[in-house]
Amino acid sequence: MADIEKIASSVDSLKLEFEGHRYICSDQIATAVYLAYHLRKPVLIEGPPGVGKTELAKTAAEMFELPLIRLQCYEGLDESKAIYEWKYGKQLLYTQVLKEALDEVLDGAKGFTQSVNRLHEFGDIFFSEEFLEPRPLLKALKEENGCVLLIDEVDKSDHEFESLLLEILSDFQVSIPEIGTIKATHEPPIVFLTSNNTREISDALKRRCLHLYIPFPDIDLEQRIIHARVPEIPEELRRQLVAFIHELRDLDLKKVPAISETIDWARTLLLLHAETLDPQLVRDTLNVILKFQEDIENVDGEIPSITAKIRK
Amino acid sequence: MDRTLTNFIRSLRNAEVRISTAETLDAFGAVELVGYKDREFLKNSLSLVLPKTEDEKATFENCFDQFFSFDDVSADQSDGLDGSAEGDAEGEEGDGNGEGGSAGGERQPGQTSGKKKSKSKAKSLSLLEEEEEEDLGQGEMTQPSSALGQLLMANSKVDLTMAMAAAGEAVDVREIQIFTQKGLYSRRIMDQMGLTELNYEIGDLRQANSIPARRLGQELRRRRDWLREQTRDYVEKQFILNADVSGKRLREELLRKVKLSNVEHRNFRMIQEIVYKMAKRLATMHSRRKKVYKRGLLNVPRTLRHNMAYDGAIFDLHWKSVKIDRPKVFAICDVSGSVANYARFMLMFLYSLEEVMPKVRSFAFSSDLAEVTELFDRNKIEDAIAKVLRDYGGGSTDYGQAFIDFRKICLDDVDNRTTIIILGDARNNYGEAHTEVLKEMYDRCKRLIWLNPESRLSWSTGDSEMRRYQAYSHQVDESNSLMHLERVVGNLLKQVT
Repeated sequence: MADIEKIASSVDSLKLEFEGHRYICSDQIATAVYLAYHLRKPVLIEGPPGVGKTELAKTAAEMFELPLIRLQCYEGLDESKAIYEWKYGKQLLYTQVLKEALDEVLDGAKGFTQSVNRLHEFGDIFFSEEFLEPRPLLKALKEENGCVLLIDEVDKSDHEFESLLLEILSDFQVSIPEIGTIKATHEPPIVFLTSNNTREISDALKRRCLHLYIPFPDIDLEQRIIHARVPEIPEELRRQLVAFIHELRDLDLKKVPAISETIDWARTLLLLHAETLDPQLVRDTLNVILKFQEDIENVDGEIPSITAKIRK
Repeated sequence: MDRTLTNFIRSLRNAEVRISTAETLDAFGAVELVGYKDREFLKNSLSLVLPKTEDEKATFENCFDQFFSFDDVSADQSDGLDGSAEGDAEGEEGDGNGEGGSAGGERQPGQTSGKKKSKSKAKSLSLLEEEEEEDLGQGEMTQPSSALGQLLMANSKVDLTMAMAAAGEAVDVREIQIFTQKGLYSRRIMDQMGLTELNYEIGDLRQANSIPARRLGQELRRRRDWLREQTRDYVEKQFILNADVSGKRLREELLRKVKLSNVEHRNFRMIQEIVYKMAKRLATMHSRRKKVYKRGLLNVPRTLRHNMAYDGAIFDLHWKSVKIDRPKVFAICDVSGSVANYARFMLMFLYSLEEVMPKVRSFAFSSDLAEVTELFDRNKIEDAIAKVLRDYGGGSTDYGQAFIDFRKICLDDVDNRTTIIILGDARNNYGEAHTEVLKEMYDRCKRLIWLNPESRLSWSTGDSEMRRYQAYSHQVDESNSLMHLERVVGNLLKQVT
């Protein structure tokens, strides 16, 4: 069991620990995790796709050696898939069993009132935790030693679902009408929410979270990230490819390459035993970093000038 | 400490970062954990707690830098030395002291006599200070006795900032409205911080016999000058933080009410922001709704629950099917010469609406009508509007032709859930009105709304066909300011969803 207290004792130790898990992060990101742990607040992470939002939660779980519970959001996600559901089959069976046992329960009862009283005395377990099927959110609350809860792409879910999240995010509890309120065990989960900003997240949700915006990294940080993720790549090539990506991000593209694309590209180039970036090589591997034919065509003409620029 | 933070939050709010009370409490929690020691750490932490969008983060950065900037005393010492060597600060200083004293007198009438004394003292001080600086060298100094002197010598910029902020609070520096008040407020703040006592002390020290005391006198003087600079900066910042923005808000409020045709071109960008905000608010208010239908997937839990009464025999079936209901809007915008002044804003509104609502189809015409939905999709707002005006604008109006074109292009797509909005003045240049086509549209759609930029009085005068068209509209409205537009569209969306 990792000593969470110790890891989270300062921003610097968090950064180091993240680096140890091959996640290179800025001060801002480390501060977010630090505050999230100490203030017990969920973190809402926004930023362009592929900058490591989901990865942050995964690495945090790995680092704290806590189980990661992940809830992928999509349109139409509702409480029966996210929080809990009743085990209907089991409930049905129970009613059958109860019916058989009814005679026993009512044995010797005289009159209607007495029978009803007997029934009341009989423990009602129909809506009890035994019949409850916990879904990710409830599971996260019940984790004994705490866990990392990742609610991924919360912007893809509906408004209604956002409102469902509010209770769990602010008080770490869920209310089930038939049972009551289930609170988190003594160690509440560390919650990360990610959003790609396809729609505006409601103020109520934002208010309950720390808000972390992860932008594209600067050249130095991205070099370090590539170094951590693809350590085998030669230094000169690494410098060139990161510089190339940064040039691309300045162009007017439909989808600019993110860190994940840079990493993929680095792996590709490594596989091809490339030593430097030459125009032909770039042209051949462009589809690794650009995901739209339109973009590839646009960039194609620029390749020689960009490669010349970054080789300097 | 708490005061500083609430003030900071106040200036953030002034800069249009929305911060709720709960977030303020969070900020206190964060500050308690983080402390004021490490500036960068504090900034990172607060930027996680307070701003909640990318734009707000940028605003936050600016505000933070302005609010919490206070240059290091020790770092500035060399500058301070240079300044006193040049000796040009002295004259200004005496002046400042005198006025500072009188300003203080105004505020506290009970202490006038005391202040007067200090005033004369200040005069003799400035005389003294014109003497050449003695070179006393480095070495021991005595301890300052006045509160401000102690504060200055303590070398703690945090304490000084706080003292300055407290003084600023006491003289209501936040009420600063126009830039000419800057001098007045800086003097008041210095005074509040105890400048008079400090001047006394400096005077006494410089006349003292012991070298360490004189050395302290020199040092204090230099630091006082430095403090004056800082105070001026502080007031400047307060001015930017507080006055400037309320000015902007005032302007925004005005713009909403002013007639669209009167708005100057330079306010275009601001209008655009307002329109966008408005359209977005409207759209989020009425964006989605779910319905449960009598067909689709079997809703197992519901079915089981409802059938428990029948011994668990599946008998009464329940279905689930989620239908996401989005408003379907067709907007037709007149961009001809007669509404040239409004067309730009109408288009802007249309553009913003399309950005925030998924199912808007836009059309523009002056005589011939064409769909511009795709053009809006592909281009940025300025380009899109310019292109529409270039391609379709400026001609003479022919509503009849436009309706016929509309019928040809997309009347088939109009169904009983569609709302048609027509933005135009109904001035048809005495051409054929073709009301029968409008009637056809009216019959097919759920609602037809006509928004006319002209005031009601001039409807149906001259070549306006408003009266005839009115008969085939569910709703007609005058709309020539953003407020109008906002109200109309608000109503519209309520009915659409």
